[in-house]
Amino acid sequence: MSTKNKSQTITEKTDQLRELVAWFDGDDFLLEEAMQRFESAQKLAEEIEADLKNLKNEITIVSQKFDEDV
Amino acid sequence: MASQNNSVVRFSVSDFIALTNQTLEYAYPSVEVEGEVGSFKVNQGKFVFFDVKDAGGSVGCFMTVWQLRVPIEDGMKVIVTATPKLTPWGKFSLTVRTIRPSGEGAIKKSLEMLQAKLEKEGLFADERKRVLPLPPNRVAVISSTQSAGYADFIKIINDRWGGIQIDVAHVQVQGAAAPDQIIRALQYFNSQQELPDVIAIIRGGGSSDDLSAFNDEPLVREIASSRVPTLVGIGHEIDTSLADMVADRRAATPSNAAQILVPDATDVRRANRQLLKGVVPNIFRMIESQRREARMQLSLMLRITSENIEQQVNQLEHTRRLMNELDPSTVLSRGYALIRGDLNVGSMIEIEKHDILVKAEVKHVNKK
Repeated sequence: MSTKNKSQTITEKTDQLRELVAWFDGDDFLLEEAMQRFESAQKLAEEIEADLKNLKNEITIVSQKFDEDV
Repeated sequence: MASQNNSVVRFSVSDFIALTNQTLEYAYPSVEVEGEVGSFKVNQGKFVFFDVKDAGGSVGCFMTVWQLRVPIEDGMKVIVTATPKLTPWGKFSLTVRTIRPSGEGAIKKSLEMLQAKLEKEGLFADERKRVLPLPPNRVAVISSTQSAGYADFIKIINDRWGGIQIDVAHVQVQGAAAPDQIIRALQYFNSQQELPDVIAIIRGGGSSDDLSAFNDEPLVREIASSRVPTLVGIGHEIDTSLADMVADRRAATPSNAAQILVPDATDVRRANRQLLKGVVPNIFRMIESQRREARMQLSLMLRITSENIEQQVNQLEHTRRLMNELDPSTVLSRGYALIRGDLNVGSMIEIEKHDILVKAEVKHVNKK
């Protein structure tokens, strides 16, 4: 998996987590579903933590020279 | 062509001018001349003519408009970098490659003129500012990779966030060559097939002369026209350049630029935990609400059942009373008698009262 995709996944996962959590404040809240959703949210938060801990930035110095017109 | 007569070299006019120019070029391929600008004018929007002068003299200068990187006006003290030349019309002039204000007053004046001009064009307007994506996936950095400012910037980004593709264009960030190199780097990133999310221009602190590259008009215009949102983090907090003002987002320092560019993973982790914690009271509230509802339903059910039982009991009591009323012994106890047998004259009948039994003979039977 490329770093870019990984990074996107963090953003997506964070959005997904917010959505999951927002459900608990919504009108569709059902106790029967709550535990399952809470567990999913917890798992997602753990995944995000792991991603944040493990991901490194990829730094590339571009080969193009800028000291003269090309 | 030159000819020699009595040890005196004779030239044609053209040859003399050419020889003079060759001599000048050999002796002074490039000179810097400092003086005050006079008779400044731009012809046909392309050619710039002016004089540089001091108390002792004046020399004409020529340059093209696109070599003019800063606003110049009469009376301004400048340093020109030029090649001396004798024109075909015998006029001595300086062919100017660069011109820059000299002295604090002139630099300030030139900067103010440029700032006013760009402001009038709306280049610093808030409406032009774009929001930087947070966090970005791909960042382009324009900086000197040997500078302390760049090192700070990268360190803080790495400390705060991961998973970003960072493409770095190594350029000079001070001196006469810096603006053009930064412009080329901006053009390079803006022409990529896959555009970066942000272009960050980074440079650490320095003297006002060091930072003057970021007040270069073509560079400021290039930043303004960037397709990719720009973040400029130059110098220290007190330093403000025109590049800062035109950028979509200004950072006070390179470190601050890194803080603006990416969130802090620690904050994100904390926020996620808070999000999850915030859910728990909702669950408990819902459990309590459902418990209350169940209790209410149970209580209602008990009340209805109890009312039904009471109703049944009352009904039974009523029936019991009715049955009791209809019991023959009850009727007999009220003084009535029960007669058994045929009611024909001469027949024997039995009369039952509540406390006695009587045998009797029927004497008369009359219809009522």
